[in-house]
Amino acid sequence: MRLLKTGRWITGVGLALLAAVYVRALAFTPVERFQGPAQKIFYIHVPAAWSAMLAMGLVGIAGILFLLLKDPRFDRFGEASAEVGTAFSMVMLTTGPIWAKPIWGTWWTWDARLTLTLFLFLLFLGYLLLRGAVTDPGLRARYSAVLGICGLVLLPFIHLSVYFFRTLHPQPIVLKPSAPSLPGPMLVTLLFSFLVFTVLYVGFVTQRYALSLLREQAEPHA
Amino acid sequence: MPENTPYMVAAYIVAAAILVTYAVLLYRRTLKP
Repeated sequence: MRLLKTGRWITGVGLALLAAVYVRALAFTPVERFQGPAQKIFYIHVPAAWSAMLAMGLVGIAGILFLLLKDPRFDRFGEASAEVGTAFSMVMLTTGPIWAKPIWGTWWTWDARLTLTLFLFLLFLGYLLLRGAVTDPGLRARYSAVLGICGLVLLPFIHLSVYFFRTLHPQPIVLKPSAPSLPGPMLVTLLFSFLVFTVLYVGFVTQRYALSLLREQAEPHA
Repeated sequence: MPENTPYMVAAYIVAAAILVTYAVLLYRRTLKP
């Protein structure tokens, strides 16, 4: 299948570029003065969070489009994006505490930002569990679309939670109304990593979408 | 603060492990859908 080959190719390029991000971040990006080497976790933690939020945003948009147009392609896409988003959420939720321990002195704290990102991860899991629990394809697609839209609604609260509540988590330094508050070489590394994590997201989703298509062709009434 | 280098290394290894594992699992699943 052509779509599957395309997905594999994009994923391969994404993984190769991920290695380039590692080299760039570890060897060619300056060490931050106050946090030291641990600050470099930033270059994988933030893009992973971006990809997870992109994934949930697109699950929600696909859910809206499915409810409006009843096109099964949107349901298939939502399923693919949710699974990929779960993987990126895991990266976000593991690298975050590893960064927090040396800087905040604790692995985890139940503040608004951290709790909401954990909730995002649980929403991804809930979405996938829901799909596994409902056998009727039409019902499954409708329920999933509604849950995906709930996830989409959550995203602005996650992003703005650092403004609304007192939290240990830093405020946005790139995705904010004013200019990014990051020195040039660090910003280049971060933007490169954003790009690579987006390429990986596209590659994974393309493959996962193709897998759903293959399964449907194998079992048309599943 | 060079003493926090192990945290940086651990985070990079964990991230790569999750993403590469998912890529491999996805590849294997698409071989036999």
